[in-house]
Amino acid sequence: MAALARTVKYVVFYLCLTLIAVVFVAPYVLALFGALKPASAVLGSSPWTLPHSLYTGNFRTILFTDDFVRYLGNTALVTIALTAGQVCFGVLAAYAFARLQFPGRDGLFSVYLATLMVPNVVTLVPLYTIMRELHLTNTYWAIFLPYVLGTPYTIFLMRQYFMSLPADVFAAARVDGASEWRILTRLVIPMGRPIIVTAALIAFVFGWNNFLWPLIVTDSNSQQVLTVSIAALQSAFSEQWNLVLAASLVALVPLLIIFAMFQKQIVRSIQLSGVNR
Amino acid sequence: MRLADRRGARQFAVAVPFLLPSLVGVAAFLLVPLVIVAVLSLFQWNFLNPPHWAGLSNYVTMTRDDHVFHALEVTAYYVLWNIPIQTLMALGLAILLNRKLPALGFFRALYVLPYMSTPVAMAVVWSWIFNGQSGLINHLLLLVGVHGPNWLGSTSTALPAVAMVSNWQYAGYNMLFFLAGMQTIPPALYEAASIDGAGPVRRFFKITLPLLNPTLLFVLVTDVIGSFQIFDSVYVMTQGGPGSATDVINYQIYSTAFQSFNVGSASAMSLLLFGVIGVITFAQFRFFRSRTTYEVS
Repeated sequence: MAALARTVKYVVFYLCLTLIAVVFVAPYVLALFGALKPASAVLGSSPWTLPHSLYTGNFRTILFTDDFVRYLGNTALVTIALTAGQVCFGVLAAYAFARLQFPGRDGLFSVYLATLMVPNVVTLVPLYTIMRELHLTNTYWAIFLPYVLGTPYTIFLMRQYFMSLPADVFAAARVDGASEWRILTRLVIPMGRPIIVTAALIAFVFGWNNFLWPLIVTDSNSQQVLTVSIAALQSAFSEQWNLVLAASLVALVPLLIIFAMFQKQIVRSIQLSGVNR
Repeated sequence: MRLADRRGARQFAVAVPFLLPSLVGVAAFLLVPLVIVAVLSLFQWNFLNPPHWAGLSNYVTMTRDDHVFHALEVTAYYVLWNIPIQTLMALGLAILLNRKLPALGFFRALYVLPYMSTPVAMAVVWSWIFNGQSGLINHLLLLVGVHGPNWLGSTSTALPAVAMVSNWQYAGYNMLFFLAGMQTIPPALYEAASIDGAGPVRRFFKITLPLLNPTLLFVLVTDVIGSFQIFDSVYVMTQGGPGSATDVINYQIYSTAFQSFNVGSASAMSLLLFGVIGVITFAQFRFFRSRTTYEVS
């Protein structure tokens, strides 16, 4: 009897978990179902049901007209540049703040920390003004330049982690006459891999999803990124759900792949970023 | 003294190559813009003609401008529709998953999944789900005999609907912080409480919640700052409408600067938002500091 009661409890528990999971996953599945149907079926009575046959016309329309492939390429280019720069320069700065001695270090670091308080939107107008003065609007540079030299948040995360690495390893390396550069590349980077991957993921997701800044700083087709083009598509074809859903999925799929590949790492890295506060 | 100076100079020489890129970045793209935005807020400018000195008139107009106060009000409502529900969802999920049973890692991953999605793309998907005629939600409601409203087209439901998208996207993400916090609580505390006859509810309110205070502070501070700056989903789902029902402050700043080209006003408004967020963050720190009296590590 007790065993039966426990089994019932488990069944109810996992049933709850599954129902909640459905809520979190359903929008993706529904969007996929909608994107795999012709317009008539999506505007019909039950567009969210499983499609009878796989209709790829929406994806073909999206990908082969309207420069969508170009936007995908633009987004990838800008995001990869942003991620690479932010990680490289961020690691350098984090190493200096965590492991080097120099006058004014802690004061400078508190300036970095203080900038975390500044909401993004406060710097939008002046950043746009700067980009205009430099004649950089409507260039790839403008999209990633403000973020490519390292952001205080990822520098902070990596610095905390680098500080927690065992000090005697570094002391031993210095006694052996290793240069700072060598210590960084041979010791800190291998030992700090988890946090560096975290920083890279944060940078990539930020770059891929960034919308407001590219919206402001580009207004031509040639540099447009996915988020901006999806928003434009949505307002132009607001009732052609089959097309805008397909476009949205094109933007979502790379992140889904990354999530599937790095799921454990992502979960752990989010927790790292919270615990290291 | 000399020697110390020379050593300092040598240390600088070592550190500069490491620091230089990020120093340039922080100075050029964070600190200088802060100065520029403060200066711009004292001018009237449309990005094209030479700027006109305006003194404090941008601020004075702002205090008389109903739009700005309305936008702040809408933003506050948005935050209230977003943060409490999202935090409670996250706490609930963490409580569900904070146990040792098989396959919980799988469910945890599914709950975090929305965090990895592009807000603009998801706003499109949710617009479809919320759609008045062909949306899934109203279709499901019809099955139980209820005629659902035009969620995004009605002034009373548009703002909560947009907030629900954020709740959906970030509940699982926040759950991870609560899970991490719960796992640092020593099991001995719960065992002792059980022996003293405390039930699960009492244990939660007397042990878990107080010890989660630092986590709660972190989650609330970062979420509230983010929530005050909501933009992407508003832009895609409602464009600030219907009427001005979802005209949040960030959308208002964007349209003032880049659609009306009223640079001075937009600068003043963004500094106002900065101030509001600063005050609320400070208040949260004060509130939690007075309640966090002990720490367990």
